[in-house]
Amino acid sequence: MSEHEQDILKHLPLVKAPGTIWASIEAALGEHRAPERPARHPWRWAFAAVAVLALLITGYWTAKHGSAGGWIETDSRSHATIRIGDIGSVEVEPGSRVRVIAERPSEHRLALARGEIRAKISAPPKLFFVDTAAGTAIDLGCEYRLNADELGLGLLQVTRGWVSFQWKGVESLVPAGASCRTHPGTGPGIPYFDDAPVGLKQALDNFGIEKAGTDPLNVILAEARVRDTLTLWHLLQRVDISERARVYDRIAALTPVPSGVSRERALRLDPETLRIWKDELAWKW
Amino acid sequence: VVDLGGKLTDRQISAEIVAACRSGDRDAFRALYDAYKDRVYSIALYFFHGEPSAASDVTQQVFLKLMTSMDQFRGDAEFSTWLYRLVVNACMDAARRRKSDAVTADRLQLETFAGPDSQEDDYARAQTARSVRAAVSALPPKFRIAVLLRYFDDLSYEQMASALNCSMGTVASRLSRGHRMLAERLKGLKGASDV
Repeated sequence: MSEHEQDILKHLPLVKAPGTIWASIEAALGEHRAPERPARHPWRWAFAAVAVLALLITGYWTAKHGSAGGWIETDSRSHATIRIGDIGSVEVEPGSRVRVIAERPSEHRLALARGEIRAKISAPPKLFFVDTAAGTAIDLGCEYRLNADELGLGLLQVTRGWVSFQWKGVESLVPAGASCRTHPGTGPGIPYFDDAPVGLKQALDNFGIEKAGTDPLNVILAEARVRDTLTLWHLLQRVDISERARVYDRIAALTPVPSGVSRERALRLDPETLRIWKDELAWKW
Repeated sequence: VVDLGGKLTDRQISAEIVAACRSGDRDAFRALYDAYKDRVYSIALYFFHGEPSAASDVTQQVFLKLMTSMDQFRGDAEFSTWLYRLVVNACMDAARRRKSDAVTADRLQLETFAGPDSQEDDYARAQTARSVRAAVSALPPKFRIAVLLRYFDDLSYEQMASALNCSMGTVASRLSRGHRMLAERLKGLKGASDV
């Protein structure tokens, strides 16, 4: 650390954490482990029996099909859990068909043929992948829900961290609190925050598989908030070249353009320029 | 677990301690907590403009996450890098939830706290300290968190890149710009020659 940095540090003293924090942690851990009260009503026994059955099914699938190669298929009432090495787990929802394709320290890969999964991964980026007919969800350290039908039509919803969804060079980066539709034959849709204005989300649906017409684009640009630069940054790369300047101008109106980003290079979709801009905008996402 | 003045290094976060935590050993976890709690709390406190409740929430959240996901810690990564990644995520998530990261309303809180060991009875020095904290607090979040990580654990650029999920070049750039912004804000301050 330089002398200059040390000088500043002198004025940022280490502050002792209050003792109440440890008490809160212990209390929270205790809640996680608190034994449940015995059931007093017959229906609770029935519920418990169903829960035990579900656990047995879960254990069965985990044990029987947790390794690469086998298909995991849940019926309309069963769940399954797939342990992903030592980096997390995937819950397979009812009515799903999933296959473990690769199970190596450097790559954990599933195929989701249909149905829904909920993934919880805590690992460096790009170790966990889920293939669907519409593309591949690439974990960047996160929790998310992904559903898809046999054709690949589906929805990715991220609750923590980031997910990259890619198809033939088209990429959507989806942060926590945002979602992205997946489309067969065209890959990932344009991501949007779940709390985005309703009009913006409807316009994105209309934007649809084909390139946008003018009307939905007008609505998206008009309704976008600062946070929705997530949507606009992706949109810049998907609209016709004649519309790019309008998208650029709208982002620039919502938040200052950082140094290193020029209008000319952004409109040319220069990859490094887009990366710099995304890194800056991401602090608002 | 050996108490080393409250500061365990990565080398001392042995596989044995991690294994003990994984098996639910509260004493081992408490040792980890004691080793890092003040640094985690301080980073969160300065990040959230001196707001103790926000810093406490983040500290609690980080250590709960640590405790409940210890089995996902990859031994080939440095422990502190993993921990600070949790800190960065918790701070940024909390900041996002708060929607506005406005500084102005929180300045007062910055002036009301001080480290218990810093008896700043010299008025000018105390004034400088408040100004430095206010200047750090006014940095944009990405610069603020980078500067705080650097100050409170002297992480290498490589470790910071991993904790911040960006390249080493980006880390260098953020630190450089952060320092420039601090210098600019503190320019003209009485006693600023200190900083």
